[in-house]
Amino acid sequence: MTNHFQNIDQIIRENGSQKKNLIPILQAIQKEYNYLPQEALKYLAEKTSITPSEIVGVASFYKQFRMQPAGEHLVKICVGTACHVKGAGLVHDAFRRHFDLPKGTDTDKSGKYTLEKVSCLGCCTLAPVVQVDDITYGHVAPDQVDKVIEDFESRHGEKGTPKVRKADGSAIKGEIRIGLGSCCVASGSGEIEKEVESVVNNSGLRVKLKHVGCVGMCHQVPLVEIVPNEGEPTLYAKVKPEDVKNIIETHFDPPNILSRIKNKLFHFAEEIQTDRNWDGVERYEISMREKPVASFLGNQVPIATEYRGIINPLDIDEYQRRGGFSALKKMFESLSPEAVIEEVKNSGIRGRGGAGFPTGIKWELVRKEKSETKYLICNGDEGDPGAFMDRMLLESYPYRVIEGMIIAAYATGIHQGYFYIRAEYPLAVKRIRKALEICRENNFLGKNIMGTGFDLDLIIYEGAGAFVCGEETALISSIEGSRGFPRIRPPFPAQKGLWGNPTLVNNTETMAQISYILREGFEKFKGIGTDGNYGTKVFALAGKVARGGLIEVPMGVSIRQVVEEIGGGIANGRKFKAVQIGGPSGGCIPAEHADTPINYESLSEMGAMMGSGGLVVLDDTDCMVDMARFFLSFTQDESCGKCTFCRVGTKRMLDILENITSGKGKPGDIEELEKLAEWTKKGSLCGLGKTAPNPVISTLMYFRDEYEAHINGVCPTGKCTELITYSVNDNCIGCTLCAQKCPVEAIPFTPHEKHSIDTEQCIKCDSCRAVCPEDAIDVK
Amino acid sequence: MITLKINNKEVRVEEGTSVMKAAQQVGIEVPNLCWHDELEHFTSCMLCLVKDTRNGKLFPSCSIQAAEHMDVVTDDDEVVEARKTALELLLSEHVGDCEAPCHIACPAHMNIPLMNRLIAAGKFDDALEVVKRDIALPAVLGRICPAPCEGACHRKTVDEAVSICLLKRYVGDEGMEPKIIPAPKTDWKVAVIGAGPAGLSAAYYLQLRGIQVTLFDKAEKAGGQIRTEISEEKLPREVLDKEIETILKTGVDFHGGKTINTEMFRIMQNEFDAFVIATGSVSENAEVFGLNTTPKGIEADRNTYQTSAENVFAIGNALRTSRLAVRSVGQGKEVAFSVWQYLNNQPVKGEPRIFNSRFGKLVNEEFSEYLKESVERKRVFPENMGTDGFSREEAIAEAQRCLHCDCRAIDDCKLRIYSDRYQVDQRRFKTSERRKITKLNTHTSLIYEPQKCIKCGICVRLTEKYGERFGFTYIGRGFDVEIGVPFNEELKQALTETALKVAKGCPTGAIELKQK
Repeated sequence: MTNHFQNIDQIIRENGSQKKNLIPILQAIQKEYNYLPQEALKYLAEKTSITPSEIVGVASFYKQFRMQPAGEHLVKICVGTACHVKGAGLVHDAFRRHFDLPKGTDTDKSGKYTLEKVSCLGCCTLAPVVQVDDITYGHVAPDQVDKVIEDFESRHGEKGTPKVRKADGSAIKGEIRIGLGSCCVASGSGEIEKEVESVVNNSGLRVKLKHVGCVGMCHQVPLVEIVPNEGEPTLYAKVKPEDVKNIIETHFDPPNILSRIKNKLFHFAEEIQTDRNWDGVERYEISMREKPVASFLGNQVPIATEYRGIINPLDIDEYQRRGGFSALKKMFESLSPEAVIEEVKNSGIRGRGGAGFPTGIKWELVRKEKSETKYLICNGDEGDPGAFMDRMLLESYPYRVIEGMIIAAYATGIHQGYFYIRAEYPLAVKRIRKALEICRENNFLGKNIMGTGFDLDLIIYEGAGAFVCGEETALISSIEGSRGFPRIRPPFPAQKGLWGNPTLVNNTETMAQISYILREGFEKFKGIGTDGNYGTKVFALAGKVARGGLIEVPMGVSIRQVVEEIGGGIANGRKFKAVQIGGPSGGCIPAEHADTPINYESLSEMGAMMGSGGLVVLDDTDCMVDMARFFLSFTQDESCGKCTFCRVGTKRMLDILENITSGKGKPGDIEELEKLAEWTKKGSLCGLGKTAPNPVISTLMYFRDEYEAHINGVCPTGKCTELITYSVNDNCIGCTLCAQKCPVEAIPFTPHEKHSIDTEQCIKCDSCRAVCPEDAIDVK
Repeated sequence: MITLKINNKEVRVEEGTSVMKAAQQVGIEVPNLCWHDELEHFTSCMLCLVKDTRNGKLFPSCSIQAAEHMDVVTDDDEVVEARKTALELLLSEHVGDCEAPCHIACPAHMNIPLMNRLIAAGKFDDALEVVKRDIALPAVLGRICPAPCEGACHRKTVDEAVSICLLKRYVGDEGMEPKIIPAPKTDWKVAVIGAGPAGLSAAYYLQLRGIQVTLFDKAEKAGGQIRTEISEEKLPREVLDKEIETILKTGVDFHGGKTINTEMFRIMQNEFDAFVIATGSVSENAEVFGLNTTPKGIEADRNTYQTSAENVFAIGNALRTSRLAVRSVGQGKEVAFSVWQYLNNQPVKGEPRIFNSRFGKLVNEEFSEYLKESVERKRVFPENMGTDGFSREEAIAEAQRCLHCDCRAIDDCKLRIYSDRYQVDQRRFKTSERRKITKLNTHTSLIYEPQKCIKCGICVRLTEKYGERFGFTYIGRGFDVEIGVPFNEELKQALTETALKVAKGCPTGAIELKQK
């Protein structure tokens, strides 16, 4: 190990040697070794003032850190909400079988692959999603696991050769826009980009290749938009590299192969949710005038996502051309800090992190604090397993968020700020880092901003994997280099926050809406939405809806409008059952209450919560007890363990739910669960524990009969594996597909005869039902 | 200064005082586990929840400062239920026994593990003193008791139960009778009717309380059924006589050969302040001294033994026929307490049975952990089985086999005290398998039992405050969080200067001094 210590010395030199540097140091060590070797940590304790207790306490708190070496490749299986409802659990089991992992082990015998469950990869519309190193596979079915690994092995090691652009001096004929949001990248837009470059280079075409952020239509990724100088722009969805040449030639060269694409002319694929589109060859051309697209976009009001699909995330000139930083200029020219606060207060904007505290009042509180040192924190620790709007905003509109932060800092008298960004969002970190650099170069940050004498420095702090750090006091502990333990409030961070100084913590989405308010005036912002709930809210729409994606809607829009008009209703002709709003802190609102307007108060009244903005649509095949168990298992896993009600209460609730969903429920369990939910809510220290019971409480409120059915040994939707059995009905034609797919040989190979399932052998992986062409597999 | 209201009392405190401290200032105790006077508030256990009457919300009083116009309630039904629930949640992950299973199983509730340790240390006189706190006839019972304690012994799961009964016999035979420090003499006079094991025991413990006992028996000699029903070979009469003698020597006025009939009993009312009926089995539906009876015997309260006449108590086979002498002996001790309460005009509640945490059966993986505090040795049998007892060496060797199942914090565990106070049900949240018990005992003066830990963090914060090089730390998070030593260092590395302070600070029995 001795030879490694030089690296550690280097890491200490680069990151500092105080407690506040601990998390970045550990991140650097893990980057170096792929885990945290104990010897390295001991050396760290010797060389710095950081104690062994602090090092071990922090290293074992955050999910990102590994104490054991991982395999060469990391297989991340997303078990976020959207993936869960689409069967991620079965996919996970299939991977475990594929790698033959005994219980308690996550790395295969060869040490090549390590399996990891992750809460959300932020590609909810491609659910279920699996990421192998940096290649993302969407719509993975349990029986496709072998193919995924096969595909990965064939692609892994490929390196694109750098391409040099040919310049022939002719005029630029148009623009090719490629979405580079995480969903797009996950679905392969990087390769599309390479392919576009290659086609363009080889053909000598003069077109502008433009990176744009998230378009929001995540259900159609990867997206390529062709914008010729003359004529209508055309948007292509689900583009594959081999299509690129045709697409480009269609628009920029004499038309030739056009027909092949046109034959497949756009018909919006409502069935997309079951498509295995990385496997299939589906490709559609979208016209922005077609009704579904108009419907998807029509009801939306982009404020935080203004110019989506148009603006290049890092092009500061374009940002300014499109009105960026004009709020800043207006502020520096004509508004006092008090006037800014007044404007924000008048706009009525409330924190978009979920709780909905009026932003202007928070700013005023911080402004009033006399302290010399105050801090600003942009909370980008989005941890809801079914939401990714903060990530999208940071990736696609970095300048807009920065502009909001500068305004907030000016209004409250702050000169130093942090971007707290989840470590799971590497692209967001990269973009913000670059954007900060460019802002400094352009004097939007640093000393004497825009010659006004106002100073502000912003730096990035990467989270290390802890949902609880979305809670502001836990987030502060984390920046201080401690375990993410929340603290009791009062004192509020506005009075005593980071290192005891007044601290303003605002959510990313809030920050992204600020510049609009100043630029357009508070009246205009207040003109959107309904009483007490003004402006817009960004949601990650996913689940069983036909068209998922990131949407920004005015406050007060009804759930029905979102699901039916924007989302295009339920996919596959199933029945709309409920929406889960607000993720682990939120609740399930049943279809009969779909006319509930989306605002802070009405959602709370219905037992849900605005929360982080995850909006997962459920259909009649979704088990509500399983949903409650899913969220409880998430919050229980993410509980920091500090207070009794959350640490033990969530665990006992989960125990009861697991008993109920596995057929071990008994009379009295529902009542005890209810009691415990009530006490966990009342007695927990922080927001995580106080809201953790919501998914249970709301499902008990609307779907109590399903709980009772489970107690009686029946899962009405057939989701809970321990309560169901698979059997073959008379539709069977003896095609043997099921027998071929069965991973445990529970179905004898009997061609032309009705198949049968050995229920003793059956592991309920659902492969047979998925493959059966005749609907001959019954689940009861 | 700040003025607030706590339980409708006006309280004036310095600014910055926590609500919990403010309550203490006016004598209102708020329970807490994670609070430590040398440390900042931490807000973990949530036992100190109180209610803000202005908004009806509960808040942890250790962590919130008293503020002007606050109006707080510390003990209404909701607050009590909150505390009870918190305790039940903590107990659901608190894997440990307070009293050892043998101690609980013993009908006389004798502190067996303590006796064993004293025997193992060769302190037989001290051991006898411990035995006689609960059992007035140890040498006798040591020969005739069917030993329900051994049935509950954790060692039984490992190999064979500790030979508790013979150990008791050994100290009964060999231990020096403890010097009785006489309690201040009272003027009370109590008649005990029946001088069998129950009556003898009652007489003994009443005498120790300074109460003059007159003991009647229809037979000439005291002893009741143990004199008449048990063979000389099993119970030599000199052993019986010697122990009876010891009891009578406390000043009991014994009247042998005297049968008390109803008429005499009525007359005796003038002479005695209270009565203990220990006459042995009552024939079916017999009328006894005008007391209410059941088909089994005299009707009496299960805990206090008080009968339908408030100054009359009944114990032993007079309640219900049983072959278990140790039960009668135990009841004799317990009734003395009830009688004492009655005579002192206190509410008659009987001997308090305080809450006991219990985890159930020991499992395979735990044998080695429990053996850390014991010896690997087969059960010792006396040379001549049946009649002989242990030799000194055998007794010591056998006593060493005891696993020390009782908790060292048994008398000062805050978790236990509050669990008792709030009458909690440890089994309420028994929703999944319990954790496996481990014991870390490599430290010279401390033992650490992580599964008893309630994660209050006092030890972590104390070792940090006092600059321990390694100290304790949290490892992991959520329900699976554990308190441990960083880098898997030994306990002795973690706790050097702070060992005593940490052991004292632990609100439960997770970290304790080995010798207390």
